[in-house]
Amino acid sequence: MAQLRRYYQRFVKLDTEIIVAGPEKPEAFREYWTKENLPFIGLPDPEHKVLKLYGQQVKLFKLGRMPAQMLIDKKGSVRFVHYGHSMSDIPSNQEIIELIEKQI
Amino acid sequence: MSRVELNTAAPDFTMTDFTGKSVSLADFRNKKNVLVVFNRGFF
Repeated sequence: MAQLRRYYQRFVKLDTEIIVAGPEKPEAFREYWTKENLPFIGLPDPEHKVLKLYGQQVKLFKLGRMPAQMLIDKKGSVRFVHYGHSMSDIPSNQEIIELIEKQI
Repeated sequence: MSRVELNTAAPDFTMTDFTGKSVSLADFRNKKNVLVVFNRGFF
């Protein structure tokens, strides 16, 4: 998350907002956002509405939720999807920024 | 569980962020790209 923060201004320059969704409650988000000084939108989703809508993979017996990233363009189309297969399976911010620069 | 497919319309949602502000994907239409990040947890 700290990494994403370092790249935030580059995303902003590319007209891109970042929304971080997670199953934690609003208080947990508030605490973490304050502590880490995070600039993006934090979306508590304890009922897993958005998580289910976007099909975040849940591996029940092993590691819990896997990370996932989606890039949606100004027309509302999905332009990039990555479903992680492990906790560390996250595309680099640089990779996503290059995609925005090239495609959108 | 359904997954999101490339180059299709992203499912819209309206949720409340942790500050109490309403956030809809549709709010960004024709204005901004949106990177949605699903994390496993902060801690």
